[in-house]
Amino acid sequence: MRKTCEAAVRAVGGAAVIELAGEVDGGAAGVLNAAYEQAVSSGEPGTVVLDFARVGYINSTGIALIVSVLARARSERRTVVASGLSEHYREIFDITRLSDFIEVFGDLDAAVSQLAGPAS
Amino acid sequence: MTSVARPAPRRLASFAVASEPGNERLALAQVAEAVAASGLAPARLERLKTAVAEATMNAIEHGNRGRPEIPVDVEVTQEGDDIIVAITDLGGEHALPGPVEEPDLLLKLEGEQRARGWGLFLIRNMVDAMQVRTDGVRHTIQLTMRAGTAAAPVSQTGGSQGGGDEEDV
Repeated sequence: MRKTCEAAVRAVGGAAVIELAGEVDGGAAGVLNAAYEQAVSSGEPGTVVLDFARVGYINSTGIALIVSVLARARSERRTVVASGLSEHYREIFDITRLSDFIEVFGDLDAAVSQLAGPAS
Repeated sequence: MTSVARPAPRRLASFAVASEPGNERLALAQVAEAVAASGLAPARLERLKTAVAEATMNAIEHGNRGRPEIPVDVEVTQEGDDIIVAITDLGGEHALPGPVEEPDLLLKLEGEQRARGWGLFLIRNMVDAMQVRTDGVRHTIQLTMRAGTAAAPVSQTGGSQGGGDEEDV
């Protein structure tokens, strides 16, 4: 029943995208931290995108992990944005005020398009 | 003297889960199944599921201290429009830390507050009412969600400890 967290990292323009899948709970700490490390170790991205489109469950410990990633990114002067959150987890981002610090996009395409800037 | 009759509570489910990490998922799934016909709107069902998961995690980790042989009891009842989920551990009055520190994201980001500590905050914000009571070693958190109504501000009620009375969180 439990689906462990998985992460895939790729670069898109000047951003690093971390595509998460499964459950973001206490068991996701190693995966999320390793993914962030990989994401910022090459190319020095100014923005890290956390994509939650394939995440079915986030609990309070998962929220704490996201807070830790955000804290580290801020200390490194990087921006964190999120995409693919369900309505419920979007509400939780609002309640916890994470959405004050992490811009939330409907899906990854919208996030990447925004990061690429308006077409000239 | 007149009295207003309240509908008799109707038990929707009663079950236990072992105090093992991850079993909060079992609890939320069984609660969701039990209330499926209650008329709870999908968004409010998601809120209730999150509150049940967090309360069960607290019961497993803080109440029963992760000892698998000690069960967490879950009872789901409906009383009129109210769906009531009672989650009980055997951790006594120390099951939840107190006083509860209100999470402040900015303080957490600046390292002045630990990153964790969102559980009770989420529970309070997900349901219409939350009560905690301790009766000897039995520590119960009771979550109330009104079916068919808009979300109302959460209320916390409590009283003295022991003898089945309620306590403040």
